[in-house]
Amino acid sequence: MATRRMVTGLLLGTAVALAGTGVPGAGAAEAIRIGFHAPLTGFAAGDGKSARLGAELAVEQINAAGGVLGRPLELVTYDDQAKPDQAVPVANKLLGEGIVAAISGSYSGATRAAAAVFQQAGMPYVSAYAIHPDITRTGDYVFRTASMGEVQGRGGAKLIGEILGQKRVVLITLDNDFGQSLARGFKEKAGDFGIEIVSEYTYGIKERQFGAIVASVKRDAPEAIYASGYFFTAGPLVSQLRAGGVRATIVGQEGYDSQNFIDIAKAAAEGVLITTALDRDSDRPEVRSFIGAFEEKAGFPADMVAASTYTAVQVLAHAIERAGGTEGKAVRDALAATRDFPTAIGPVTFNALGEIYKPIQVQVVKDGRFRRFAVIDDPVLLAPPAE
Amino acid sequence: MFYVELLIAGLVQGAMYAMMALGLTLIYGLLRILHIAHAAFFTLGGYVGVLAANSGLPLGAAAALGVLVAATAGPLVYGTVYRPLLDKPPYVALIASIGLLIAMEDGFRLLFGPYGLSFAENPWFVTGPDLGGIFLNWVQIALGLSAVLAIAGLGLFAVGSRAGVAWRATVDDPEMAMSFGVSPERVRLLAFALASALAGLAGFLVGLLNNLIEPGMGNITSYKGLAIVVLGGLGNVPGTLWASLLLGVAESFGTIYLDKILDRDAIAFFILVAVLMWRPQGLARGR
Repeated sequence: MATRRMVTGLLLGTAVALAGTGVPGAGAAEAIRIGFHAPLTGFAAGDGKSARLGAELAVEQINAAGGVLGRPLELVTYDDQAKPDQAVPVANKLLGEGIVAAISGSYSGATRAAAAVFQQAGMPYVSAYAIHPDITRTGDYVFRTASMGEVQGRGGAKLIGEILGQKRVVLITLDNDFGQSLARGFKEKAGDFGIEIVSEYTYGIKERQFGAIVASVKRDAPEAIYASGYFFTAGPLVSQLRAGGVRATIVGQEGYDSQNFIDIAKAAAEGVLITTALDRDSDRPEVRSFIGAFEEKAGFPADMVAASTYTAVQVLAHAIERAGGTEGKAVRDALAATRDFPTAIGPVTFNALGEIYKPIQVQVVKDGRFRRFAVIDDPVLLAPPAE
Repeated sequence: MFYVELLIAGLVQGAMYAMMALGLTLIYGLLRILHIAHAAFFTLGGYVGVLAANSGLPLGAAAALGVLVAATAGPLVYGTVYRPLLDKPPYVALIASIGLLIAMEDGFRLLFGPYGLSFAENPWFVTGPDLGGIFLNWVQIALGLSAVLAIAGLGLFAVGSRAGVAWRATVDDPEMAMSFGVSPERVRLLAFALASALAGLAGFLVGLLNNLIEPGMGNITSYKGLAIVVLGGLGNVPGTLWASLLLGVAESFGTIYLDKILDRDAIAFFILVAVLMWRPQGLARGR
């Protein structure tokens, strides 16, 4: 009796193990494994959490709807701490995990480093929200679902110079890939919109005390301030500017796009404008359903990082479906052929470089939430480079 | 006016550095340990304060609680981590200290999440006295006052009280002090309690100023604190004070006039290298 129970147990255990590892014939279809890296620890862990939740939400929804090619998707997640020197070993580990494609839910430095590894391995790779220009230039297997920094910077110039009609502008630039490429785009087009850049200040990513910059901005007396940063720098910066008596319009970008920014800056956040990818007041069904589903899963409002990573997974799944298989070249070609695929950040079409064109969503903080302020839909000004 | 504002911004920053660096220099003076993990007590004060304030305690009480918890945790860490290492070479304690900082930082991250915490209400930050165009809020004033009070208090304590005399005796010659009935152990515990209390208060006030308490918020301050301690002449309290204020003001002006050449955080270390090359005993006169 005891022996028989043991044998049954063993058999059962084996069956469960087989199902778990996805050995064909064991019942469930073998999962399609997607590599995913994001900063789950370290200074960028906040964005890493949003990215991971966004990616997981997309996978859950796709699997609930029957998966891709009749097989479930499985996310293989690693922490890269947003550091290039971590991203390379992470990318190599992912390559050893039997993945068919990979997604970056990380910042520019880590994504550039990992892109080189995936390109060399012929592994399709989608950068969700890292904005450095060189990422897609790594090669033809690399795609991006975000607007490049320069493009967003140009949008910022149009917002301030044309839509708001403000001409005296101070730049406060975060001294990294993100801030510098935004400032480059802004300066490139500032003249076209009649903007005079009174002065530019830079700060490091660890900075939280902006007393000296606040004093200088007061002296400059600009009409508007174009300040790059992430929520953890922008929150203190905006509160200190307002507490120091600066009343000029403050324009930020995607880096501000998190409820945390509003939680930090509170009343000082009111009226701050940002250029971003997610329109909270959109009436498109794919945007509405994402915003609702994300808040339900995460327990906090959707942000740009979550929306972009969610989109990257969907775009990739859509491509695998159309490729009819998981072979690298076929998936890459299908990705490159993505046309007008509706997503939470708008319809996605890749150009020859693997970049997308999308209108810039200008959101304003009103009563503690991001709301729609304007949409900049200017295919000439916002055209991504094609080579 | 602009230069006055830059100067004030620098002095406020310097006051914060002073509160951190004083603790570091006290501990170095007593134990010859570079207490890198000091940063974690700065963060601890911030977290305890923000949690207390957001659970409904008035800000003053939240500050006191943050200081109290930090002041208790400091001696505890000394007893468990440093005491067993006192007869080892100094780098052993240094490595333990770095490990402790990393562990505490990731502990905060695990406990309180990666996003950091903000004060639900931050009245001291959004109000302040009217000084004719210069905006100063109560948090900045509190930082400056705390630094002044802490330093004056320490000075009085060291000169005028029995415990202070015991302290100075222990710094000068622990064995001789012991033979006169001073317990070096009690002096060390007291040093850790005081140093951690100052760090906790600084962390709480900086948390108000940024309205953001993050797991790694103490790191830069702590590394700069080390630079300041060296600038001031290791173990030299008045020297540390001057070096803190000097660095705060240098950074304030440097952020505006040197930002194309030197990152703000590089200024401290640039001065450090220069001083080590030309005045290795520190800026102040040697003890």
